[in-house]
Amino acid sequence: MANEVTNTMPPSTRLRRTDASEVTVDIRTPDLEINFGPQHPATHGVMRVLMRTDGELVTGAQPHLGYLHRCAEKIGENVEWLQYLPYTDRYDYLASMNNNLGYSLAVEALLGVEIPRRATLIRIICAELNRIGSHLVAFGTYGLDIGAFTPFLYCFREREWMMSLFEKICGARLTYSYIRIGGVFNDAPPGWFEEVARFCDVFEQKWPEYVDLLLVNQIYVKRTANVGVISREMALDFGLSGTMVRGSGIDWDLRRDMPYMCYGEIWRDGAFTIPVAKGEMGALGDCWDRSWVRVMEMMESIKIVRWCLDHMVDGAVIGELPKTLKVPAGEAYVGIENPRGELGHYVVSDGGKVSVRTRVRGPSFCNLAVLEDILPGSLVGDAVAIIGSTDIVVGETDR
Amino acid sequence: MTPAHMLVQEAAPVTVGSGSNAFLEGLVATLGEYLPQWALWLGAAVTGVAIVMGLISLIAMFSVWLERKVAGHIQCRYGPMYVGWHGWLQSIADGVKLLLKEDMIPRDADRLLFMIAPALVLAAIVAAMAAYPLAPGVFFADLDLGVFFVIAMSSMTTIGVVMAGWASNSKWTVFGAMREAAQVVAYEIPLGVALLVPVMVAGTLNLREASELQSDWYGMGWFMFKNPFMLPAFVLYFIAALAETKRAPFDLPEAESELVAGFMTEYSGIRWSFFFMEEYAAMFLMSALAAVFFLGGFESPLTWAAGEFFGRELFVAGANGAKELNLQAIPYHAVAGLTLLIKTFAGIFLMMWLRWTLPRVRVDQVMTMGYKYLTPLALACALGAALWEAGKQALLG
Amino acid sequence: MDFQGILDRLTAIRAPGLVGSDEPRKADPKDKKDKGRAGDPFAIVDAQLLSEFVRACRDDDRLHFEQLVDLTATDPSKDAAELWINVQLLSLKFRHRLAIKALLPKAAASLPSLVPVYRASQWHERECAEMFGIRFVGHPDPRNILLPDDWVGSPLRKDYEFPKEYHGISCE
Repeated sequence: MANEVTNTMPPSTRLRRTDASEVTVDIRTPDLEINFGPQHPATHGVMRVLMRTDGELVTGAQPHLGYLHRCAEKIGENVEWLQYLPYTDRYDYLASMNNNLGYSLAVEALLGVEIPRRATLIRIICAELNRIGSHLVAFGTYGLDIGAFTPFLYCFREREWMMSLFEKICGARLTYSYIRIGGVFNDAPPGWFEEVARFCDVFEQKWPEYVDLLLVNQIYVKRTANVGVISREMALDFGLSGTMVRGSGIDWDLRRDMPYMCYGEIWRDGAFTIPVAKGEMGALGDCWDRSWVRVMEMMESIKIVRWCLDHMVDGAVIGELPKTLKVPAGEAYVGIENPRGELGHYVVSDGGKVSVRTRVRGPSFCNLAVLEDILPGSLVGDAVAIIGSTDIVVGETDR
Repeated sequence: MTPAHMLVQEAAPVTVGSGSNAFLEGLVATLGEYLPQWALWLGAAVTGVAIVMGLISLIAMFSVWLERKVAGHIQCRYGPMYVGWHGWLQSIADGVKLLLKEDMIPRDADRLLFMIAPALVLAAIVAAMAAYPLAPGVFFADLDLGVFFVIAMSSMTTIGVVMAGWASNSKWTVFGAMREAAQVVAYEIPLGVALLVPVMVAGTLNLREASELQSDWYGMGWFMFKNPFMLPAFVLYFIAALAETKRAPFDLPEAESELVAGFMTEYSGIRWSFFFMEEYAAMFLMSALAAVFFLGGFESPLTWAAGEFFGRELFVAGANGAKELNLQAIPYHAVAGLTLLIKTFAGIFLMMWLRWTLPRVRVDQVMTMGYKYLTPLALACALGAALWEAGKQALLG
Repeated sequence: MDFQGILDRLTAIRAPGLVGSDEPRKADPKDKKDKGRAGDPFAIVDAQLLSEFVRACRDDDRLHFEQLVDLTATDPSKDAAELWINVQLLSLKFRHRLAIKALLPKAAASLPSLVPVYRASQWHERECAEMFGIRFVGHPDPRNILLPDDWVGSPLRKDYEFPKEYHGISCE
């Protein structure tokens, strides 16, 4: 798609002389080229989609990225291993714990250290709580995109509690740098686990509110069902992951299928299930399915947190690591289940203090690639719904 | 002929009822002794417009505060609390801020249209407000055209909106303007046809007369209870009114998450607040129409009791034959006016409640609903109501 | 399947371009200089046949790699003569991964695009191209993705020099 405006009808058909007294004029006008973004309330960050529309019908879309590119990968080659951790917080700033986790697991794969059990359980609790928080934002802001102003505030009410829990354990509300190489950096303060248990109970009571108020609301269903359908083949071909594939009916979750930390143990205990969309309200793989998966996943995360609380042990929270870390030479790729999909870290070391290559495979970057294919043919209102349902965070798309 | 009649006649040729301008006649009689005719003209015109503008400003200020409190409480928070008791001065603070803002007109915008659009929109609503009856004996203009006039004038705001969208020289605002035009045109039909039902039962378009006709049954003789097709008509009217006033779930023209602010995007400061005032004034008028035609208008048991106790005539024949003010009847008019106000604000509260609960309907679904569902239903309601009335007449004579 | 099983299967189906493999190993006690290698095993593939190799990985029944998870490049050091192309494949059916490395000479960094095989590689290749100066032959839309269209240089190469200014804005 070039940048010029083109007519959709070839010149020969626009003006036709049928006979001397009759002239047919084609009144089709050129398509409108508009910028959806970079400043726009609904692009979930600084992203620009160059849309071509015929009135309200979108006939072409071209995402333009890079407005939030902060050279995370280049920085990874210039700072020490442990110093890189705060940068990992900032790509997917809504799920910082999971980013820290992905990076730490990748480096630990090279180090080959044993993580204390207590640290693993606290890591899982933090990751799952952050997943709940991230899905709350995704669901709430999706409601905002659709025009429902209130569920957003209900979601943020629970998220506030989650953020205050994290503030108690590590001092930060959004970018934690808590899960470090070798474990977690701080033990939980007294009473923290009890408060997490209380949070789980209260959340379980509040969760039906989201379903009743938004998810099964007829107007919401009409706005999201049969919109932005991603077929199974498209999901696999584009390398989508996370809620995008589960929303298209593919039963795949890295926590169960390629387990890391003790997720395998939790799965074998039958503590949680993986919600996979069944196309209840429309075509399988539409926006409603994806938001349904996110809402259901929140409950599953609560179950995982409860399991970890029940099986909590005492002990150290971080392994013994030197202050200046020298990671053995080698390369490793570790992919974890981020709220948005598979977050992969590929780290290459030559035995030194600084990495040779820190590659971040951001799920939002890969998930966004389908936009070029699924936006044309929808209305402008649908375009907003589709972009919202991909649940992207532009920090992760651009890194 | 009193000045107010002259004003109305210049706007549109209407026949004025004979015994209905007791208020204005009395006023002119009392003042006519001191001032020449043309001064009365001018005074009446300016006073009328000033009172209407003042009324609209008050309504807008109160509605803004109400909206923010309602929104806050629905969203589990308080809303404005700092400025005044529970934030009642917030609207004034906002107004002052808006007055002090820089007046920005985009460089490539069509300056004339850009500046005219908010004025046009507000002018249309001010005109429509002239039909609102403040009390059974106190009003700006007793229009026999009543509801027809209100709907016609409030539809003129669409021109201003489309003008605003176009003049802003931005593709997004044009989107908002086009959606507004399509939506308003689509929902005019169900609005008008749904209003046809109570008009049929009342036999008059005049708001004051329609309200008087509901005063039986000790003040509970509302039109809602007089015809089984009134309730569906009320629901249809309410939905159409939501679409006319661009309120959620039909707030496409100003869809925040799609079009930033729709047709209002490029407006700031006082120009923007004109659109805002127009929105709340339109809500007020639509709700007032619903209150008058479906919910009894001035009438309620309290009004009936006050009328019985205090007397209803505001201007009675005095000792020397001229009409003079009957002070004893003022409480009745106050109670009646307050009743209508409360009913109107109940409707406004319902509109606000719906806005903060429901998501937004997509543009093609809005059109489908308007043309394919609401219009046939409204026509069916009107037909049913007509048959009911005819049957009632035939059976009961 | 584990890595050895995948490798055997690749050899059995004669996947085009398979040159060898590298697996993690402990440090050799006899050689002081050899620190060993940690991390993941990977297959080494000829860069020009990479596209056909991944096609074979995708189409084979026993390998069944439906998804391309990541496609990126690495510049191992300033002195190295070659860039690495790193590809991560994933099979949902069999729950196994494959890491692939292809070596590309820095002086002639071009290889056939993987887009005909996996649509996922479309955006990854654009990023690789702008960051490392690699040319993917046959890519349908070779524009810059994260960097501005007029950016000069390949930032992730080790010999990259930061610009002093960009469009009049100082970059010091």
